[in-house]
Amino acid sequence: MENSSKEEYTIRSFDLETQKLLKTALKDPGSVDLEKVSNVIVDQSLKDQIFSREAGRICFTIVQAEAKQTNGNVFRRNLLNRLQQEFKAREETRKRSTHEWVCLVSFICNIFDYLKVNNMPMMALVHPVYDCLFRLAQSDALKNEEEVDCLVLQLHGIGDQLEKMNLQLMDELFNLLRDGFLLQEDLSSMGRLLLLEILEFRAGGWTLSETAQKYYYSEVTD
Amino acid sequence: TMSAHQKYRYENDCKPDENRNKGASRWSQCRKRGADGSLRTSHAVEEPGKCSQSSRRPESFTTPESEGPVSRVKNWGDEVEAEEVRSNVQRDAHRYRRRILEADFPQRDRKISSGSSDSRDSRDSKESPAKGDIESDEATLIRRQKQINYGKNTLAYDRYIKEIPKHLRQPGVHPKTPNKFKKYSRRSWDQQIKLWRVKLHAWDPPAEEGNDVQQIEEIDLGEIMDFELDVECSGDTESPCPISSGASLALAEVIFTICYPIPSKISSNSISQYFHFFLFLMIDFCGGNFPCYVLGYTHFVYTAFDNF
Repeated sequence: MENSSKEEYTIRSFDLETQKLLKTALKDPGSVDLEKVSNVIVDQSLKDQIFSREAGRICFTIVQAEAKQTNGNVFRRNLLNRLQQEFKAREETRKRSTHEWVCLVSFICNIFDYLKVNNMPMMALVHPVYDCLFRLAQSDALKNEEEVDCLVLQLHGIGDQLEKMNLQLMDELFNLLRDGFLLQEDLSSMGRLLLLEILEFRAGGWTLSETAQKYYYSEVTD
Repeated sequence: TMSAHQKYRYENDCKPDENRNKGASRWSQCRKRGADGSLRTSHAVEEPGKCSQSSRRPESFTTPESEGPVSRVKNWGDEVEAEEVRSNVQRDAHRYRRRILEADFPQRDRKISSGSSDSRDSRDSKESPAKGDIESDEATLIRRQKQINYGKNTLAYDRYIKEIPKHLRQPGVHPKTPNKFKKYSRRSWDQQIKLWRVKLHAWDPPAEEGNDVQQIEEIDLGEIMDFELDVECSGDTESPCPISSGASLALAEVIFTICYPIPSKISSNSISQYFHFFLFLMIDFCGGNFPCYVLGYTHFVYTAFDNF
């Protein structure tokens, strides 16, 4: 099955014992320590940028498996509370390591994307996600390409959903991005390009026109 | 607790020149209107002496005023769970209203929906409520749903639904989940829940299966269960009550009221004594004939206290 092999590919970044733990959690969640599983996943997400963008899928599978098997939500509760701790400590994390910080944002957004409640995004995460994006839109963050890149990546992925949940905050966020693009002098040219692209992307209804697509994503021939 | 406009936390990050907020307010003063169309007032005057004001970075950018009450004290696990109960209740209400409408226009081949079947009795024309008689207060529905969830989240319920498929369930004999969408008084509803749960205990797993942990969890019900524990049987003809003696009833009431909510404060020895006596008394009065569900109930309480 395509989905399960995708998950298996993602967990290859773990050591064998942890891989076994995760595989069991996916199939037989009642038999493992789900708190431990959630910690393992969060820890890895903060280290491994690729994993942080994929972990949401794994988490969703475990949540569903647990609900079906035991009607419980131990895993989801542990995951969310751990995530909340990390979120509260985000400023220290950012100071300590930009890489960890962008992994954290990427992970929170990935969870927001995948862990739906009755097919609706979790309302509890809307403000935290916006908080992260607003932080990335501050001047000291915009001058780091790594942070701008993270910001636009998240907006590409979940911008339209976030906007539906709260239009006013999205408008405010984009005001900051516009201002940054126009006024901030210490942006790298790549940073500026990324901002311009996301401005056009949202203006186009969370999609790029064909010409814009060509502009931003075609190979430059000269 | 944090105030809405959060405290400044950056010792290092005090660079007014680079502060884009300053630049933003310069720029935004050229714009008369904000993004939402309202006229902009000039930004708060910056006090040059106070570094914290000019490069203020709030702990949260999504201040409460903009979104209504946002509690930062709750944990996300609880919040999401509450969301889930609420959205489940809304979904159930939607389905129930549809079923009520269908009941007005009965069809022979009714599609069985896969969702919760708590409120399946809309077909019964005697019981079918007029549209105005549906309980629609969300807080009430959520409270009732939580009480139902407590009952369904038991081994007894699992065993019951596995053992007795829906088409074999007989009203009066088999426990039936109370319908949260019907109008009942609080007292009436709580009584129905109590009786339903008592009936379910007939399907408690036997003690050898190591069900102790689950039994203990059943005790910790908090305010939601609001147990008065008057084991009266007059109102409900559907659940036959075996206890005919007033004396044993009174004794049961006393013991249960003392023991039930706060078992941890009572030593297990005294409880064991009470229960031995209680069981003797019950069996004595009723000549040894006990329908299994009553025995099941006392069995449940007894085994639970064994573990304290």
